Amino acid sequence: MRIWNRLRSLVDRRPFEHDLSEEMTAHREMIEREFIEQGMSPENAKFAASRGFGNTTTFMESSREQWQFAWLDTLTRDIRFALRRLVQQPALTITAALTIALGIGANTAIVSVLKTVLLNPLGLKDTDRINVATVRLEKLNMRKASTSEVEFRELQSMSDVFSTVAASEGKSWTMDGGSEPVRVVGRAATADFFRVFDEKPFAGRFFAADERSTVVLSHKFWRSQFGGDLTAVGRSIILDGQLHKIIGIAGPGFQFPADSQIWTSLFFPPERLQRGRNMTLNLLVRLKDGVSPAFAAERVNRYVAAMKSENPNSGYFVDLTPFAEFIAGDLRRPLLLLWAAALVVLLTGCANIATLLLSRTAGRKREMAIRISLGATRVQILRQLLIESLCLGLVGGVGGILLASAAVSVVHQLAIPGKAALSLVALDRDLILYGVALALGSGLVFGLAPAIQLLRHSQTTAMARGRRHRLQDVFVAAEVAAALVLLITTGLLLRSLWAVGQVDPGFDAKSLTTAYLIKPRNDPSFIQRLDSRLRATAGVQSAALAYPVPFSGGGLTSSFTIQNRQRQAGEPEWHGEAYFVSPGYFQTMRIGLLRGRTFTNADSGAAPLVCVIDTKLAERFFPDQNPLGQRIAMYRGWAQIIGVAPTVRGASLEQDSRPVIYYAIEQVPLFPQAAIILRTQSPATALIREAVRDTNGATPIFDMRSMEDRIRESQGIRRLLAGLVSVFAAICLILAGIGLNGVVSQIVGERVPEIGVRMALGAAPRQILIQFLTQGLLAGGVGIAIGLAISFYARKSLAGLLFNVETFDAIAFWLAPAAVTLILIVSVWFPARRASRVQPSSVLRYE
Amino acid sequence: MPKSAEFLPGTLDMLILKTLTLGPNHGYGIAQHIRRTSQDALKIGEGSLYPALQRLLINEWAIADWRSSDTGRRVRMYRITASGKKQLKQEVESFDGLLAGIARVMDAV
Repeated sequence: MRIWNRLRSLVDRRPFEHDLSEEMTAHREMIEREFIEQGMSPENAKFAASRGFGNTTTFMESSREQWQFAWLDTLTRDIRFALRRLVQQPALTITAALTIALGIGANTAIVSVLKTVLLNPLGLKDTDRINVATVRLEKLNMRKASTSEVEFRELQSMSDVFSTVAASEGKSWTMDGGSEPVRVVGRAATADFFRVFDEKPFAGRFFAADERSTVVLSHKFWRSQFGGDLTAVGRSIILDGQLHKIIGIAGPGFQFPADSQIWTSLFFPPERLQRGRNMTLNLLVRLKDGVSPAFAAERVNRYVAAMKSENPNSGYFVDLTPFAEFIAGDLRRPLLLLWAAALVVLLTGCANIATLLLSRTAGRKREMAIRISLGATRVQILRQLLIESLCLGLVGGVGGILLASAAVSVVHQLAIPGKAALSLVALDRDLILYGVALALGSGLVFGLAPAIQLLRHSQTTAMARGRRHRLQDVFVAAEVAAALVLLITTGLLLRSLWAVGQVDPGFDAKSLTTAYLIKPRNDPSFIQRLDSRLRATAGVQSAALAYPVPFSGGGLTSSFTIQNRQRQAGEPEWHGEAYFVSPGYFQTMRIGLLRGRTFTNADSGAAPLVCVIDTKLAERFFPDQNPLGQRIAMYRGWAQIIGVAPTVRGASLEQDSRPVIYYAIEQVPLFPQAAIILRTQSPATALIREAVRDTNGATPIFDMRSMEDRIRESQGIRRLLAGLVSVFAAICLILAGIGLNGVVSQIVGERVPEIGVRMALGAAPRQILIQFLTQGLLAGGVGIAIGLAISFYARKSLAGLLFNVETFDAIAFWLAPAAVTLILIVSVWFPARRASRVQPSSVLRYE
Repeated sequence: MPKSAEFLPGTLDMLILKTLTLGPNHGYGIAQHIRRTSQDALKIGEGSLYPALQRLLINEWAIADWRSSDTGRRVRMYRITASGKKQLKQEVESFDGLLAGIARVMDAV
């Protein structure tokens, strides 16, 4: 109750102050009346009373003090003292705060990405019941592939395990209406799409079943295009020349996919559901209440098993992936590694500051002795010391949170294809709390050892000094071990990056510039005119048009059939990727055909449909026969194979490609987009813009970049990971070096008299040098051994992040320890040499 | 100007508690009572009175509530609690001991 009384006065002191002041006023009035009764005039009485009463504010103050906690007062005094000390030693404070800031900044930034991508995907709530269904075709090397209408129909029928099933496919449109046509990206989605996420519209409504030509705007798009005008609902926009009615606006928190601006209603005509095998659909399912993910997977597997009961070797699977894991995708492992690395950096920083503070304990011995002799208790001193390190930690933490917010804005600018989720990363309250907690934790970690040491130190001297050095040695060894582990990891990642860079994409990516455009409608000869215009442009070595361009997500996955060839019963349909290219494509990309011919201008819309296949398709489907002249159907019906091209990497240097079919872009003009590919010696952006404008002014161009950039961006995550881990390793290495240097310098400093005496007695400077070198390197050596052991045992966990590199890579496992040893020798060398140069005479004088 | 008397530490609380055993009273009344009964020997300044009253409240030796006085003015009346009475008894005992001790020192030849 008593504590409660005090706490209440802390939280809200208004009633308390009000009571007191009214009470005092009453008191004064009573004195006043007393004076009047004694015969004073009212004015005089009032004056005398207030003079007699004294200073009300002071009384209030001293009354208030009765209520407050004594420890609060001590705490502020301790904090004030700690801050004063930190200001008094700026070098230590700044070093320590920067170290902590780096560690906490890195941690907070990485956890903020983890939160958006992994924990709380895209800021959506309650996603743990949502799964994404994907297709796996083992024989075609396809994993996590999009689904087709067949899977949609099948999963929709499994109402015993799924409460909601929604399909959506990625789309982009040209939106007319403004001064210039705008490219808009989003998805076409079935009626249940928003219901899977349990979303409520911000305004209007979401899709109804079997709706056509309706559109839901994202909150952001509505704000930017309609300025937040609610009457937008009910109006229409023109997408690809078709009128779409705006039926609703999504909530501001709903962003899936992260870059989606609008969602249109997806309607499957019955014939599409019958025939469809286009693998373009993203399938979201919400598990029914009480249904476990394992049970749902079991149910889906039963369907798959029934599908392939006739042919057990078909290699067809349908996988259910938790939504969070699907969003994280290949970001998951790199992020977890980065988080671990950032924690190692923070802990190394703590160890470093601890050694720094330990080396200061000698200097504070006197201060502690005086304070204890003046009556300070051990608890008081321990509290004071801990508050000092907690303050230091907090200063670093504030710096770290600032660094993290800077890092988050860098993350927003990372243009990694397919990683639009990164643009939603934000530093929210939880993350700031995480940063503060880390800061306090670090303060405790690096403050406790020196504080305890200091208290012991005040009791004994020589013994404690020895123990202090041993403690410092432990910290240094830990720092060296951490640095080595990160360095070996860096080595493995850099080797993988190099190995990826060695992969030949199958075409000559140098001097190629690419740009996407949206074909103007009602201009059938546009592609042909643009092609001729580009080829005729001065400075252009060769030019082509294609859809899509390699390294912009891969070709269009679709099923195909081969004439006079039956699939075995139960075998899943054959799938390949399609590219639609102009006659100049193979020449421009410098892909030499292995057999047959490429497309010519004669392969126009009216001519018989032809195609070129790649060796992967040829080897898989025509192993013992000449594919030329065979017929294959994927788009528009039977196409005769006229050539065989070598395999080209289409999506990533790391993944093996799938079978590919090339069509002449003129013969299959199905797609609203196309891309320009130019081989030039000089920059081509201006050339492209001019040529497109000349051919048709109303053509939006987007995603213009060199082919080399595309390839580099496809390795974005790998480069980022290798880059960040090497920075972390470098920080740890520097910290370890500084730590070891500090410890040896201090030992040398304390033993100058001893060295002088030994030198006077005839010890050679060389001996002294070697003695200190070995002493210093011993601690480092232990650290290296520990680091090697950790790396050796933990290397398996890296396997998924490496490419064409053994986890026990000889180069990484030799080079990294060598580099660490070198740094250690350098950091011990200078104090050791100083020891060897001690002048015996100066020491004798000093003594 | 009424000068507050020099009190031994803790004795003010005792005096106030004792005053309150005679019945509920307000701040002014308590100060008046102590002054009159001590025949002007003890004058309590408001600067010590109100902190002391707060102390009694926190320790729950007294409780206070607002009442209307005879003149119609709202005043805060203090009342002693059971634990306040116990405290008073303790304080009186230790004070008696203290006084006896002082007396013995002063009377020693």
